[in-house]
Amino acid sequence: MTRKPASAPYMSAMKRRLLLSAPLLAAGLVALPRPGRAQVDAAGATAFIQTAGNELVAAMNDPRLDLATRRDRVAATLRRTIDVEGTGRFILGRYVRQASPAELAEYTRLFDDIIVRNLSARFGEFRGVRFSLGRSQQRTEEDVLVNTIVERPNSPAFSLDWRVSEVGGQPRVVDVIAEGTSLRLTTRSEYSAVIQRSGGRVSALLEAMRNQIAQLAAREGRG
Amino acid sequence: MFPNRSGLVRVTMLAAALMASACATRPGDDDPEGQAEFRETNDPLEPTNRAMFAAHEAVDRNVLQPVAEAYRDLTPQGIRIAIRNVLGNLRAPVILAGDLLQGNIPRARITLSRFMVNSTIGVGGIIDVAREWGVPGHTEDSGQTLAVWGVGEGPYMFIPLFGPSNPRDIAGQAMDFAINPLSWFGQGLLVDAAGWTQLGLTVVDTREALLEPIDQVRATSLDPYSTLRSAYRQRRGYEIRNEEERGRVVGPSGVTGFGQGVTGPAGPDALPPTQ
Repeated sequence: MTRKPASAPYMSAMKRRLLLSAPLLAAGLVALPRPGRAQVDAAGATAFIQTAGNELVAAMNDPRLDLATRRDRVAATLRRTIDVEGTGRFILGRYVRQASPAELAEYTRLFDDIIVRNLSARFGEFRGVRFSLGRSQQRTEEDVLVNTIVERPNSPAFSLDWRVSEVGGQPRVVDVIAEGTSLRLTTRSEYSAVIQRSGGRVSALLEAMRNQIAQLAAREGRG
Repeated sequence: MFPNRSGLVRVTMLAAALMASACATRPGDDDPEGQAEFRETNDPLEPTNRAMFAAHEAVDRNVLQPVAEAYRDLTPQGIRIAIRNVLGNLRAPVILAGDLLQGNIPRARITLSRFMVNSTIGVGGIIDVAREWGVPGHTEDSGQTLAVWGVGEGPYMFIPLFGPSNPRDIAGQAMDFAINPLSWFGQGLLVDAAGWTQLGLTVVDTREALLEPIDQVRATSLDPYSTLRSAYRQRRGYEIRNEEERGRVVGPSGVTGFGQGVTGPAGPDALPPTQ
């Protein structure tokens, strides 16, 4: 993790400035003719998150659906929204090159299964959820962070940031950041630890992932 | 936070002794990516930390978690919210010092006015009146102040009963204790009892707030130790940069926190599971 404590006050001052100028920046980005480079703009990313978020909320709050159907709806939306393959590769990091093609293919399949099961189990249980867009800011050349505030009945609101990147000409979510904690960074650290602790074998990670899917499936059966 | 200073000294000495015992092997020069990851992870004491984590998990599953669950089941939500509010209000001097030492005058004014309103109209901090008036709280601690001053975090450490930490945050806890006016009183029986009560309630309140997050990590992580390490370090960075402003609710970071991060009402987790 890159943290530079010495520059923290300046960073937060910069963020505040960024925050103030974000709407202007976004307007400017839309108005200006952009070079041919694949780059997602803040307004497009925000609209993308709003659409996906509305779909998720509609699925979670539909009173006619039972829990299993809600989960399936949420899972379908997640697969359309998230860049599962790219995110999986980011998380595997340097081990992508150490894995055999067969291992990599299986990893992508297992990762897709786990991420969708985990997220839809979590979201599928949210009832009466509401979300609203917060600030939206251009972070890097490649992606935009779209901030949302999620509210549930009788719960304090929490902040969820969606990192949106352009993948194959379409905006896709590449990371979810809950109150400052990035899911892909946390998962990368987790997967890397599993591989390292088994002597650098990617196959050990695949084994652990298969076990986890079996456990998640058992829990879904109960819940 | 500690009822007596020697308690903290003992914890620090224990940690220092444990640190000396085992180190992770650093990857060789033929593996630059491995070395980069080793630096990034910032956990040279990993074997020791993992042993500490295992010990902590055993205590947590057998004592801390059942106590926190019983606390949630047996105490009405209103009382739990009141306790959390009082604990947060008692932290106001430490938060104020953090705001001031970091040169953040607007936040210092918020902390001071919240303390004055909640201590009086809010009946000794039981009711967070200031929040209802649209002035929500935020948290600071001396670990964050040291970070803003440019002090490095040092190697990651996992301390049983205490949670994820590092030398900077441990030094911050000591500073917080010294700053807290409640620690300036003498060693009378009543003062000791009040100190232990505050410490005990803070531990139980913090663990209660973490019931769902920890369950989630245990259920979904392939390696809870490294998930917690990554989450704690990211979360501390976020708190240090004060990104939680704009009235958002901040939960405690990792297992540590001792209520220092809890500024919101006891809401999401306080609901019965049927909801």
